[in-house]
Amino acid sequence: MPPVNRDRKVRRSGLTMPVVTPRFVDNAWRRGCDFINLDLEDSVPQNLKGYARRLIKDAIPNVSKGGAEAFTRINHDLVEADLEAIVWPGLSKVNYPKAEYAWEIEKLDRIITRLERERGIRPGTVEIGANIETAVGVANAYEIASASPRVREFGGATGYDMSRDLGVEMFVGFDQFVYGKGETELATRALNLELHTAPFTANTTGSVSDPDRAYQEAEAARKCGLRVGGGLHPNVVDPQNRGLTPTDEEVAEARSLLEQYRKLASSGQAWTEIEGTVIDRHAADRAEELLEWHRLCQERDLEKAEAVARVEREPG
Amino acid sequence: MSPKEPVKREAFQKVRRSWLLVPASNPERVNTAHLAGADVVVLDLSELVGEADKPQARSTIEASIQQVKNGGAEVFVQVDPELVYADLQASVWPGLAGIIISQVESPQQVEEASQLLYRLEEERGLLPHSLEIIAALETAQGNHQGHQIALASQRVWGLTLGRADLVMDLRPEPSGEIHMMQYLMQRLITLSNAVGAVPLGAWWREPDRGLLATTENTYTTGFRGRSIGFKGSMCINEEQVGPLNQAFTPTDFEVSTAGSLLDAYREGVAQGMAAVRWDERIIDRGTALQAQALIDLGAACSLRDEAKAAALEGRPVPVP
Repeated sequence: MPPVNRDRKVRRSGLTMPVVTPRFVDNAWRRGCDFINLDLEDSVPQNLKGYARRLIKDAIPNVSKGGAEAFTRINHDLVEADLEAIVWPGLSKVNYPKAEYAWEIEKLDRIITRLERERGIRPGTVEIGANIETAVGVANAYEIASASPRVREFGGATGYDMSRDLGVEMFVGFDQFVYGKGETELATRALNLELHTAPFTANTTGSVSDPDRAYQEAEAARKCGLRVGGGLHPNVVDPQNRGLTPTDEEVAEARSLLEQYRKLASSGQAWTEIEGTVIDRHAADRAEELLEWHRLCQERDLEKAEAVARVEREPG
Repeated sequence: MSPKEPVKREAFQKVRRSWLLVPASNPERVNTAHLAGADVVVLDLSELVGEADKPQARSTIEASIQQVKNGGAEVFVQVDPELVYADLQASVWPGLAGIIISQVESPQQVEEASQLLYRLEEERGLLPHSLEIIAALETAQGNHQGHQIALASQRVWGLTLGRADLVMDLRPEPSGEIHMMQYLMQRLITLSNAVGAVPLGAWWREPDRGLLATTENTYTTGFRGRSIGFKGSMCINEEQVGPLNQAFTPTDFEVSTAGSLLDAYREGVAQGMAAVRWDERIIDRGTALQAQALIDLGAACSLRDEAKAAALEGRPVPVP
C-alpha cells in the first residue's frame, strides 16, 4: 500500500446543485457538507447557461462559508466560456463531465493554469475532476487520469450517463458496471490517486433522498476502505458524514492491531493470526490508514463547526 | 520484445492444481509439506518470512528442494523482486521447477530475474531455460502492467493475483464479493490466455479469505475458480490442499458425460455431419474439442496423483 497522503482531502459528503436556484445555493452552507458542487451542466436549462455562469463568482464564498469546499461542474461543450467565469479564489475543483480523451484534460489544465496566474490563485490549486461517464472514457481511463497532476481523485464509470451511453438498465439487482469500474479503479490505484468509487449495493428505486439507504451505502463503502461520497439531496449529507467516518470501535481495533503488529515485528516475525484476524504488514498499513483518516475527519468536522459558528456570530 | 509463440497446449497438461505455500524459515512446515499431497510446494522467501530470518531461510533451500521433491511435489521458490539476487542465488539448484516473483510490478523485473536464472542454470548444471516463472500480480501497478509482464520472458508459465486482496487492501462488499476481484480475476484470466500462460487462483468470497477458509469452503472456492478458468490455486494450510486438488480435477460425472458427448459427435461426423443433436444440446467441433480436453485433463490428474503416491511410497514414478 502506498504511503499515507497527509494532504488528503476529506470529501465524505457533498451536494450537487443548480447554481441558478437561490434557495439551494443560499442554504448550502448550513448543510454540513464537506463540499458543494455548483452545477452549470445538466441541472441548468440551456437558456440560462450564460446567466448561471455569472453567478458562480459570488456563489463560491457563499456556499463555502460553512466550511465546505466549493466545486463547479462545467459543460462538456462550453469549456472556455465556463472556465473564464468560474476559476476564482476559493474554487477547489472543476468537474468536467463525460471526459473521453487525455487532450481534453490537458486543454482544461492549460486554461486553468492561465486563469490561476491572472487571478492571483496559487498555481496548481484548482483540481480537475475527470468524470468518466461514457464507453470512450472507460477505454481511455488511464491516459485521462494521468493527463494532469490536477487530477487527484478518480474513479466512477457508473451512473445515469454511463448507463445511457451503454444502453444498460440503471436500477437492477446486480452490478452492471463491473468492467468499467474496474478499469477506472485500476488506473486510480496504479497512479496512486484518491479513489472515488462505491461497492455494489442493489438499488431498484433510484431514491436520492432516503437517509437510511444513504447510510447503508456509506457504511458499506467505509468497510471496503473507500472514503469519498456525495449526493443530490440534503437528507443524505449527515448519513454520509457518519457512514464514512470510522467508528470508535474501529479506531480502538486499529490501535490494538498496530500494538500487536509492533510486538510481532520486534520479535522478527512476518505474520500471525489472532482470533481469526491475520496480523501482518498489510493489516498494519490498513490500521494506520484508518487512524489517519479518522484524525482527518475529526479535523474537518472541527473546521466546519468553527466556520458555521463564525457565520452565526456575524451581525445581520 | 517479440510476441510469444501461439498457445502451448501442453503447458496445461502440467497438472498443478494445488500450490502449498510454506515459509522457508519454518522447518516443521517444510518437513511435512510433501505429505500434504500438493502438486506443488512453494518454499516462500518473501512475505511469510521475517527480514531477520531470511539469511537462515535461504541457507536451507537447497536441502529442502530435494526433500520436497522426493515426496512427489514439484518445487517452486517464491522470491521478493527487491531481493531477487540473494533469493535466486539461494534457490537455483537441481530439482527446482521454477520461481514465483511476488508483487512483481514491471517487465524489467521479470527480464532481470530471467537473465539471472539463465546464469545460475549454467553455473549449477540445470538445463538452460528450464526454470519457469510465475508472475504474482499483487499490486495495482503489477496488474496495470500485467500484459507486458507476461510477455517479458518465455519463462512465464503462469500468472496469479497471489495475495492481491491483502496487498491492495480489497475487502468484502455487501454482496460477499471481494471488492474489485471479479474484474481483476477476469482480466488476469483473459490476458493469461492471450499470451499462452496459465491463470492460477480461486474465486474467494466473504467469509472465506484464503488463509482462514474451511476445507469445505476451499473446495467451493476452487470449484468456482475452475469454472471461470483458473487451473490451480495457492493455499497456506495443509488441509486446503485436498479440497483444491479435488476442485481442479474433473469429476467422474464430467468425464463420463464428456465421453458420451464425444461418442455422439464421432457417430455424427462418421455420417457426414458437422454438428449433432445430443440430449437438448447441439455438439459441434468446438464443444467436442473441449470435451476431449476435459478427458485429457482428467487422465493427467490421475497420472499426477499416481506419481505422487508412488513417490511417497518410494515406488518408481510412472512416466506418461
